Amino acid sequence: MAERVFAGKLQRAGFAEVWVGGHRRFGIDQAALYPLFTPELLQVMRRTIPADHQDHVATAVIVKAHKPR
Amino acid sequence: MARDLMFQREIKETVERAYAAIATGGGETVARRHYGDQELAEVPDGAIEWALGVGDPVRYARLQPGQVVLDVGSGGGIDTILAARRVGPQGRAIGLDVLEEMCERGRGHAAQAGVEGWTEFLRGEMEAIPLPDASVEVAISNGVLNLSARKSRALAELFRVLRPGGRICMADLTVEGELPPEVAGDQSAWAG
Repeated sequence: MAERVFAGKLQRAGFAEVWVGGHRRFGIDQAALYPLFTPELLQVMRRTIPADHQDHVATAVIVKAHKPR
Repeated sequence: MARDLMFQREIKETVERAYAAIATGGGETVARRHYGDQELAEVPDGAIEWALGVGDPVRYARLQPGQVVLDVGSGGGIDTILAARRVGPQGRAIGLDVLEEMCERGRGHAAQAGVEGWTEFLRGEMEAIPLPDASVEVAISNGVLNLSARKSRALAELFRVLRPGGRICMADLTVEGELPPEVAGDQSAWAG
């Protein structure tokens, strides 16, 4: 899910003052630290994702918002 | 529509199977990427071993003593325990996880941390949170919303259980552009 899609879904749900920050790159090497990424999937990722994007496949973010009073 | 529902069910079952199958979390390597030494000193080793998040939502949540906080997709309980320490015995920390075995792990780790008196773990889905309307002041999650095949429904549920003025603070992954179809179509990617 893209960041703007995430923010849009929050706004449509009724949340206000949506804030997205704390951006950190999440690449294949980081994915490999999680047991949920199987060796087969990691192999597919390394084969199909361009080398210059492999260190930034996704972005870890913090999202904050509040429910209006 | 029926096909969409079948696909949603397939994603849900795949994610649940993947989490039920793992024998451990990301461990200290993952935990040290996201949490500081002080935070890691506040949780038992087992909770660190089961760290599977992608950030540190508690650090950003500005929790206050006495608040009721919900941790959606609580897993081994690392964020629930950190939240429990901040809201204290006058507050309440609630972990929610779809897997009973994760709830059991969370309960065990909360007991080891000494916060079990004001911490509970509920089995349930983020798309149907088993809590009353307006019963929570802060909701946190860590790498969990992305796992839902019904994200809008999950967010609507969070909105429902929050009190007016309540807040969410979520760590998650965003992806700009398209992943290669071989990756996006791989079932294990849905849980990762």
